[in-house]
Amino acid sequence: MKRRQEKLGWLFASPYLLYSLIFFVIPLFGALFLSFTNWNLISPQYENVGFLNFVKAVKSQEVRAAFFVTYKFMAMFVPIVLIGSLAISLIINSLPRFKSLFSVGYFLPYLASGVATSIVVRGILSYNSALNVWLRNTWDLNINWLGSSTLAPLIISVMIAWKFMGYYSLILTSGLESIPTEVYEAAAIDGATGWVRFFKITLPLLYPAMFTVTILAVGLVFGIFTEPYVLTGGGPGLSTNTWQMEIYNQAFSKLNAGYGSAIAIIDSVVTFITILVVRKLLEVWGEKYGWD
Amino acid sequence: MKNMVGTKNKRLQTVLLYTLAIIVLIIMMYPYVYMILNSLAPWDQVDRRIIPTGLTLKSYIWLLFGGTDVMPRPWLRAFANSMIVTVSSTFLMMVTAILVAYALSKLVFKGKKTINNVIMFQMFYPSIILLIPTFILVRKLGLYDTYWGMIIPKSVSLWAIFMYTNFFKAIPNELIEAAKIDGANEIKILFRIVLPMSKSITTVIFLFLFMERWVELLWDMLVVHNQNLLTLNVMLAQMFGPYGAYPGPMYAASVILTLPILILFIIFSKNFKEGIQFVLK
Repeated sequence: MKRRQEKLGWLFASPYLLYSLIFFVIPLFGALFLSFTNWNLISPQYENVGFLNFVKAVKSQEVRAAFFVTYKFMAMFVPIVLIGSLAISLIINSLPRFKSLFSVGYFLPYLASGVATSIVVRGILSYNSALNVWLRNTWDLNINWLGSSTLAPLIISVMIAWKFMGYYSLILTSGLESIPTEVYEAAAIDGATGWVRFFKITLPLLYPAMFTVTILAVGLVFGIFTEPYVLTGGGPGLSTNTWQMEIYNQAFSKLNAGYGSAIAIIDSVVTFITILVVRKLLEVWGEKYGWD
Repeated sequence: MKNMVGTKNKRLQTVLLYTLAIIVLIIMMYPYVYMILNSLAPWDQVDRRIIPTGLTLKSYIWLLFGGTDVMPRPWLRAFANSMIVTVSSTFLMMVTAILVAYALSKLVFKGKKTINNVIMFQMFYPSIILLIPTFILVRKLGLYDTYWGMIIPKSVSLWAIFMYTNFFKAIPNELIEAAKIDGANEIKILFRIVLPMSKSITTVIFLFLFMERWVELLWDMLVVHNQNLLTLNVMLAQMFGPYGAYPGPMYAASVILTLPILILFIIFSKNFKEGIQFVLK
């Protein structure tokens, strides 16, 4: 019996193990190796260039843009998605009936393809669209939405926030549901209602769920690709040139596979450190206010 | 008297709450509604009117058969490609996850702990580093420009493994021991006992994997060049610029891309609600 389990265990794990060997272990070392070469994906010849790719990347204007653009996205996307999903989960939680109907409805944007969303956004913001005609005629405003280096990242942030709000609000709603009603009743006796109740009870008790959502949202920013690729091409003037855009451009448009790998490694280190710092900040913050 | 004002206020509050909930719902649904309305709008009204005054199938017909000066693209083929790739990929991700998760949660064997740790390491390892070498590897393996090139590198989901392992662990061992005494072997136990108990989590994992695979862009775009093998999402992205002057058909293609997944989700939404609670924990 024991020996049977022994064999069966490895047998059941074998598809996963085989996959990991081919598509994880080999590429893992492949990436390290590539990042020290000048291979261009095509030519049979390449050289070891040492740390040259890394030096070039740190000095590159595009890579620096990717670095800062990501934090700009974070500053826009994270607050929008946090406030949005919190508002949605508060609405869901206080509805007496049809809770699940509404939460399914709010979740539906998660199913959207970034490409299809980009087509809709391009349409809504096109020069002769209902919105722009109205702005021009009524307010004499002529806004070049996607041509502005401030508005373009904001629009993409809103698009991605729209997609993820319903999903994140599910996490927050289950956090809200875990707050015992006795806590609110006790607070009501002490006279805490409305905003006081929200800031002194709901938010602190929601801290674990907010923590999860914030970390998810911060991690997500490093993976932005579809929307800038389709909608803005990284522009105007590198203002939406994310890490993944830059890696894609270098490795697959300009065929600098070695250089692209070096950028990917730098990106991963930056991602890792950023998430670590954000985690630490949230923990310190939570402790300071006694929220955890 | 005071009490009556209280109930009146309460009723007003409820009405306001539902109004707010519906307004938010309209905002969340608006891009979908916009997409559908504009795919059916007469061409001189596309993107010009909030609600078109007439309906026409011109955009869909143009999409499938092409216009006078534009070559038709294999959109239906692309839809079929998306189906083939997504269904196979999702199926493989489910099977590999169920097998390894069962081994990790219910079987006793040497090396289990190591496998667990490797999975954890992989989950936190940034996959972007693997993109370029995986592409090179897939090309070396002769999978470039094939369905397999899109399917095999996306045949394991660490997230699904993690979810199934945790769920299977929560199934009481006594149930399995009892079945063993009745003479059932491990494979029977997996298919007759464990899987039927995991229906709601299976629905949620299936839906998430399917949705994510359906809208994948970067990998499918890299690994396939042949026009007849492109997925619908990639073809739509490629036509974004070239079809810029034909927004109507672009909306039609977006609807064809989005509607199946919306319908699939709504069909399963009851099971989804049951299973999602576990996933969120």
